Amino acid sequence: MSDAPQAAAEATPDAAAPQADPQPAPQAASQAAPPSDGQLESPVELDAPPPPVAAVVDCPVCGTPTSAGEAFCESCGADLGRGTPLAEDTPDPEAAPIEITSRSVPAGPARAAGVVVVLPDLDARATTCLACGGSVAEDGYCEQCGTPARRPRDHFVELPVPWVGGVCDKGIRHARNEDAMALAGRPEPASWAAVVVCDGVSSAPQSDVAALAASRAARDVLSAPESEPPLTADELLTRAAAAANDAATKVAVGVKGPNPPSCTFVAALVESGRAVVAWIGDSRAYWFPDGGTAVQISTDDSWAAEAMAHGLSREEAEKLPQAHAITRWLGADSPEGPPRTVTVDVSAPGWLLVCSDGLWNYCSAPEDLGALLTATQARVGAEPVALAEALTMWANEQGGHDNITTALVRCG
Amino acid sequence: MADFAAEIYQNEFLPDGGTDVHAIVSVTCTGAGAAGAAEGDEAAEIIIVDTSGSMAGDKIVAAQRAAAVAVDQILDGTWFAVVAGTDGADRAFPYPNAVSPMVRMEPGARAAARQAVSRLVAGGGTAIGSWLRLATQLFSTVPQATQRHAILLTDGKNQSETDEALQAGIRQAKGVFQCDCRGVGADWDVSELRGVATALLGTVDLIPDTASMEQAFADLMQQAMGRGVSDAQLRVWAPQGAQVLFVRQVSPQVEDLTARRTDLNPLTGAYPTGAWGDETRDYHVAVRLASKPLGSEQLAARVMVAVRDEVKSQALVKALWSADDTLTTRINPAVAHYTGQAELAEVIQEGLAAKAAGDEATATTKLGRAVQLAEATGNDEATSRLRKVVDIDDPATGTVRLKRGVDKLDEMALDTSSTKTTRVKK
Repeated sequence: MSDAPQAAAEATPDAAAPQADPQPAPQAASQAAPPSDGQLESPVELDAPPPPVAAVVDCPVCGTPTSAGEAFCESCGADLGRGTPLAEDTPDPEAAPIEITSRSVPAGPARAAGVVVVLPDLDARATTCLACGGSVAEDGYCEQCGTPARRPRDHFVELPVPWVGGVCDKGIRHARNEDAMALAGRPEPASWAAVVVCDGVSSAPQSDVAALAASRAARDVLSAPESEPPLTADELLTRAAAAANDAATKVAVGVKGPNPPSCTFVAALVESGRAVVAWIGDSRAYWFPDGGTAVQISTDDSWAAEAMAHGLSREEAEKLPQAHAITRWLGADSPEGPPRTVTVDVSAPGWLLVCSDGLWNYCSAPEDLGALLTATQARVGAEPVALAEALTMWANEQGGHDNITTALVRCG
Repeated sequence: MADFAAEIYQNEFLPDGGTDVHAIVSVTCTGAGAAGAAEGDEAAEIIIVDTSGSMAGDKIVAAQRAAAVAVDQILDGTWFAVVAGTDGADRAFPYPNAVSPMVRMEPGARAAARQAVSRLVAGGGTAIGSWLRLATQLFSTVPQATQRHAILLTDGKNQSETDEALQAGIRQAKGVFQCDCRGVGADWDVSELRGVATALLGTVDLIPDTASMEQAFADLMQQAMGRGVSDAQLRVWAPQGAQVLFVRQVSPQVEDLTARRTDLNPLTGAYPTGAWGDETRDYHVAVRLASKPLGSEQLAARVMVAVRDEVKSQALVKALWSADDTLTTRINPAVAHYTGQAELAEVIQEGLAAKAAGDEATATTKLGRAVQLAEATGNDEATSRLRKVVDIDDPATGTVRLKRGVDKLDEMALDTSSTKTTRVKK
């Protein structure tokens, strides 16, 4: 979640206070996956298994702290419901292209050959209560303890190929997950990947729907078959941002209120040892080469970033009351213009991280975030989802004040 | 076929560490039909008339007429009987020599019953427990009647038997039939009769003079005959580890149901609510939960209406822990209104009891608070009744003085109507 978008000049101290929004869970899948145009070019779309449980800090039954990747609580043995790792379902790169039609969403748009995309079913509902193991009643709450059935939208995982993975989590303080992400990759390590993260603006209704629609629309553009003549990465990312903006704007139809649904945008296109990052708003991309200098690739479109551009230190700028007010966003009332783009050499071994402010708020400086990543990897290993889950859990341990999205691409 | 709808009015937001959830559940019944009219339903009615010596004169004549009017209102096909109550109880109709203890209403029976009640004579004492025991016996002869209801009229205190005997009579009758109680004149005991009515899911009210008796009986019987749903249950589910603090009917009158709970399962309690016509009743449900971290959501209660073990409607009471003070400090207007109305009933009764016991200081404080609450919740009827008992100096602060030489009937009217609430503007 980002704070309310504000033109920097109009910013007022009160307007950016985040508000819990009592909107119901979104019905995003149909908007996010337009019907097929019939020109499928051997795409691979996988039904994800039920997404794992939210990165809980403590076991919901006995309160003992748990770690990412544990299926059962070490203390009391409660099933933590984290599900099976997605990696088992990723296709063998040597195998013939496979096509699995999703049960929950219509056949997707055309994709370039060999590109793998996962479509988690975000509308499914659990039948077993994750807090106590009781059954979930038709009203959506546990029959024993009254805990609401976890909404898949509140915590979902994508791992299209073993070297590209992410976790999108509600965090602790917010009632809804207004972050979204959409990933794609080719099976061969470090070959081709696209990662999109959007962070819905919580002061506008339906921003969770807008963020999901925007991220998936952008991924559809980035993973489409190559056009004739081929576009440059910058051009493709600009188109992806435009498609994301259209998708977010469409959500506004029929939504009442002064603030139409809106979200941030950050996308990374990784190919041939090079990453091109495009962004609008304050969701970020970082590059962490193994043993090298950590780099923040994107520069926020935010009040804090503008203050830093005018000479304030990062520390001073991020403490400003308006630090998180973004100056650019996607949606019906968004300012015009293409995203800013930056190209980075990612041919060395390392991690490309694309994340929302729910993560970087607790660790903004690239060297700090890099150190956190290195320490976490030493603990949980280099599997992207395990690493992303651990970072998500870390953010929740810091308070989980915002939705948290962590997407990782293993490069080199 | 009757339909029930349940609606919740609450503020679901709790502050950090908050545990108590309050909600008003508004239950509306439509399509109830007439008593005993539904498939498989039969209704039974008993009219219990005090024929003690104190009823002699105008009162017994008025009681005869009132009973006759009530008989007129009983629908054909309804099982019925008339009980004459003194220091014992006699079956006035069907006649003592009749074969059947209760008969079904039809034009011939109606004419015979009218004649029987015109022969009621006053003489003897008052033993309400024995009246209830006879009614219980009579109702038990018609087990097929799913809806059993009585009207009880008295003009005096329960002098001819011990209070234990009265309580035993109430216990026997409990769950067998519902009973609306009416006291005529100023010589009966409001709290005594309220005890009967409350236990038997009925109402208590004052009939100030003999001239009002006919109308009061006609209204009561009409209302009873308009209740086509014989017995509805309010069911409250609360999560494991939670505690149901109270379940209270708050409209049309205040009635604490908490102690009427029977456990359906470890998490769900059932509260009998008696027969229903087309009407709306509001309930205040309070649940104490274990506090959860900020951002958590939990279902605090499922409130259901069930008729013969079939759940007709369900509404959800929720809890959401939030750090946002603007959300958590809001008090739901319906909860606030009915909390005030319930306290109003309590302080009126306590104030009048203190006054009767000669404790003027307590009476002044309690009735002052009542004036303040009636003013705050817009209960103008309560305010005008309070005015007859106290002089009001300042309604906002509840500053009052006890009136001298108050008419006993005014005090009783204030007492009996203390539980009647005004509906909240939603």
